[in-house]
Amino acid sequence: MSGESASAIQKGQVDLLDFIDWSGVECLNQSSTHSLPNALKQGYREDDGLHLDSDADEQLLLYIPFTQVIKLHSILVKGPEEEGPKTVKLFSNKEHMGFSNVNDYPPSDMAVLTPDNLKGKPVLVKYVKFQNVRSLTIFIEDNQTGSEITQVQKIMLYGSTVETTDMKGLKKIEDH
Amino acid sequence: MVLEATMICIDNSEWMRNGDYSPSRFQAQADAVNLICGAKTQSNPENTVGVLTMAGKGVRVLVTPTSDLGKILACMHGLEIGGDMNLAAGIQVAQLALKHRQNKKQQQRIIVFAGSPVKHEKKVLEMIGRKLKKNSVALDIVNFGEEDEGKTEKLEALLAAVNNNDTSHIVHVPAGTNALSDVLISTPIFTGNGEGGSGFAAAAAAAAAGGVSGFEFGVDPNLDPELALALRVSMEEERARQEAAAKKAAEEASKQEKGGEQQASSQDATMTERASASASEAETKTNDMMDDENALLQQALAMSMDDPAINQEAKDTDMSEAASDDPELALALQLSVADSSKDSSSQSDMSKLLADQSFVSSILASLPGVDPNDPSVKDLLASMQNQSEQKNDDKKPPSEEEKK
Repeated sequence: MSGESASAIQKGQVDLLDFIDWSGVECLNQSSTHSLPNALKQGYREDDGLHLDSDADEQLLLYIPFTQVIKLHSILVKGPEEEGPKTVKLFSNKEHMGFSNVNDYPPSDMAVLTPDNLKGKPVLVKYVKFQNVRSLTIFIEDNQTGSEITQVQKIMLYGSTVETTDMKGLKKIEDH
Repeated sequence: MVLEATMICIDNSEWMRNGDYSPSRFQAQADAVNLICGAKTQSNPENTVGVLTMAGKGVRVLVTPTSDLGKILACMHGLEIGGDMNLAAGIQVAQLALKHRQNKKQQQRIIVFAGSPVKHEKKVLEMIGRKLKKNSVALDIVNFGEEDEGKTEKLEALLAAVNNNDTSHIVHVPAGTNALSDVLISTPIFTGNGEGGSGFAAAAAAAAAGGVSGFEFGVDPNLDPELALALRVSMEEERARQEAAAKKAAEEASKQEKGGEQQASSQDATMTERASASASEAETKTNDMMDDENALLQQALAMSMDDPAINQEAKDTDMSEAASDDPELALALQLSVADSSKDSSSQSDMSKLLADQSFVSSILASLPGVDPNDPSVKDLLASMQNQSEQKNDDKKPPSEEEKK
């Protein structure tokens, strides 16, 4: 578990941005102009003008794999008052979900966001259900006012790491 | 080269009996399907293609997405015409088939052949289109056959609902003398979003135009895909090997020259053979190269003879070149000369041999890139005869060079 970073709110929790495996990040039903990196990536997410938009309807399905196993403590979702997300369902370790099977599994956790949350108050998740997370699927079911498009300005994940080996960091020992 | 899983929806309704496309609408459709399957599997070997029929008793999946071209072609045999096309159900079943594809990394695409009138409402089609877009499925529509009022409008609306960044396309093929497949070859459905038509598509186009089997290597990839693939691979290998051989020849040419210089310094008799062998290559070198070689040659000669005077002389003549090119090299040479000046061991045999000017000049003449009339070479030869006098200049040149 690394030490506190500047953005940690709770004691001992880290911003999990560094552990996201960007090559596998996917987002269904995102608009091509306003896409997921706007809400997740360092720098982009701070800019409130850059946000993630949904496309055909108001639902969004985000899939975020991690480079190592983590424990998820809380998430922070920031968005505009009206088009910001309302019902958010979290699924841990479920790969390649689609809109058709989101309702087939019970979510690991569910949160209904209040305007306070949308301003920057993080939501604590059921920590016991997220002890061993390799990938996180976030399903945004609807938004605050039921408008056609859902907008998300920032998504932050807080948690801690479990001591695991990062296979990419393993280097072959050179023969002398 | 996009990794894609494709489902092709075939219209095998009664409307396909019409002969306004030769030989019949259904046959033209079948040919087009064959071509598309071939193009997809060739553009990326990991692509998969599946086929389903929309009419008949109901929507039926003939083959789930597979990369086995033979299976796909086999299932096109013995298809029966009948019934009425159900476009909405066809697309939805196709979407389901794609959802359960084995390789989740593949992009999803549906290609629909809409030959008969569309009985669904525009709203229904738009909803289906939106659902496809939501699940990031691309849709290609081939509008041919019946020209129903509103059909084009409905299909355009469907395309608009699905289209995300121009990944989906619609093609209208009117009846006429042109075969359906020929018209399709030039469309983005075949060429895949303008990535550049695959060699297959180009070859097929040539074949269609020429009427002869203008396929690559004269082998029809449809009839014998393995042979065509093997021929293509061996062609690529041959090309790669030739390139590598050309590179190697260029490398060896430069290596040979360096080798020639080193041989001269060690006075090896075989050097002349080497020189003559590489003489042909050396003849093509430019004058600049020759100057560089002269300088290097002299340095090598001088150092091997272990005579400080010669080193100094060699260094004097080409110091300007060496210093300007590589001050570090000059410094290193200086240091080595300073060291060697302390050694008094002289290889008497070597120096006697070298003193024989005629021998040396004959050797130099046979070396690649060395012109015996070159002033610097002449200086070197002259210096070899005035060895004792040069030793007095030891102290002076180092100070001179340091100032340079």
